[in-house]
Amino acid sequence: MDTVQQPKEHIDVTGVNVIEARGLKKDRVSSFLLKRSPILDDLSLTVREGETYGLLGPNGAGKTTTVKILVGLIKPDSGDALVLGQKAGEPEALKQIGFLPENPYFYSHLTGYEFLEFIGQLFALKKKELKERMAELLELVGMTADANQPMRKYSKGMLQRLGIAQSLINNPKVIFWDEPMSGLDPIGRRDVRKILERLKSEGKTIFFNSHLLPDVSDVCDRVGVLVKGKLVAEDSIKDIERGGGYKDLEEYFLTKVGG
Amino acid sequence: MVSSVINPVIAIAINTFRETVRDRVLYAFFVFACSITVLGILLGSLSVGQDIRIIEDLGLTVIAIIGGIISVFAGTNLVYKELERRTIYVIFTKPVSSWQFITGKYLGLVMCIFVVVLAMGVFLLGLIWMVDPTHHMQLHIGSIIASLALVFLELLFVLALATFFSTFSTPIMSVIFTLSLWFIGHLGGSLLDLSKMSSNPAAQQLLTALYWCLPDLAQLTRVRSVLMYGKEPSQEIIIFMLAYVFAFIFFLLGLASLVNERREFP
Repeated sequence: MDTVQQPKEHIDVTGVNVIEARGLKKDRVSSFLLKRSPILDDLSLTVREGETYGLLGPNGAGKTTTVKILVGLIKPDSGDALVLGQKAGEPEALKQIGFLPENPYFYSHLTGYEFLEFIGQLFALKKKELKERMAELLELVGMTADANQPMRKYSKGMLQRLGIAQSLINNPKVIFWDEPMSGLDPIGRRDVRKILERLKSEGKTIFFNSHLLPDVSDVCDRVGVLVKGKLVAEDSIKDIERGGGYKDLEEYFLTKVGG
Repeated sequence: MVSSVINPVIAIAINTFRETVRDRVLYAFFVFACSITVLGILLGSLSVGQDIRIIEDLGLTVIAIIGGIISVFAGTNLVYKELERRTIYVIFTKPVSSWQFITGKYLGLVMCIFVVVLAMGVFLLGLIWMVDPTHHMQLHIGSIIASLALVFLELLFVLALATFFSTFSTPIMSVIFTLSLWFIGHLGGSLLDLSKMSSNPAAQQLLTALYWCLPDLAQLTRVRSVLMYGKEPSQEIIIFMLAYVFAFIFFLLGLASLVNERREFP
């Protein structure tokens, strides 16, 4: 077990670093008194190629903010965020990543099929390639039969499945999923786990946030625990389960967050 | 290479167009506009031999007003709706730049307004054909198409204004800003007249500076009045008017892209 108060160096000399966050700081500024409160406080982490990394933490710990910085939706106040060697949010990085936001809700006026087509066109995919990719992904997420239904008729689970499909349309090298299993029933969670395992076997680098610790423990190689914007611990699942002296990931997590 | 720049713009434009034309409110506006235009038959029957003229004037006014309402409301909701639905997270995590997003959104609404103006114009022409006992459409078609083109040009400008405000303001504030600037645009010439009348040099400079900063839509009004009397406006006026409106649209969309570029989506 390797517990750290503020990890500074996680670089594995043998692996290629795909995601790198160095000293990320982000404050929330209140709109009235312009009072600043930290969301992220000197966060540094590294994810290597082909690794599945789970970022854990209680509500309000800064997990979603971290992902949003890594996909370029928000800019850090200080520090660097690099994805595939590019600054987070740069077009070259965005071409090679897939992102699933938390609680996705898409366009109610489109059918699932039209939505996937729209996302594919944002990547300027060729028609034939896009069609094949869409058929493949709809099959993967089990949405082939419902693809021609308007999205306003979709359940939360169906939206989540379609969200997963859209995040994979460009066959990304790096995948960012924010709470991919939230709101899903046990069957949905099992299906997402299977998709994660398949992506893992294809050598994708996966970064995701989740509260559902058994699922994290099943698919992740390494986890980091974020509390009040600080990375308080980071370990491999193997270390936690074998030599860490913890019963399971839940015990590890509760110990680290002081719960 | 070109397709990677153009395809996202086209995709966003088609998506915006689909979203607007699949909204039932648009059809309610269309039915309402057609009903008022039909009322022109009743008003026309009260006049002496001017019934077609009245239908024409009323129809064109209704197209301008309803087109304006749709432009203002659809335009000001442009970015806000994407934020509210959180669909903006999906778009800006794809290789889509700010200018591609703004241009696509604007073009989608332009397509929608074009369809609305065209459909209402066809309805108006059909109504005139029915009422005119001689059925001589060639007498009306030229002036109506010219007037519709003018309305469309003005709506392009209103859409650009609404798009610009939607990038940094709430829909209600954007509606207020857009309507105010649209209204002021028609009074732009008065600012210049006022600055000439003023004896205070500071006031003169301030009013002239304001005139140059604010849009001036007086040219559109002038061309409209020329068309009203069945005359053709000169080519120079048309070229100047087109250049002015399109320069303003490019300026507003450029500014909107810059504002959007600096935005964060927490």
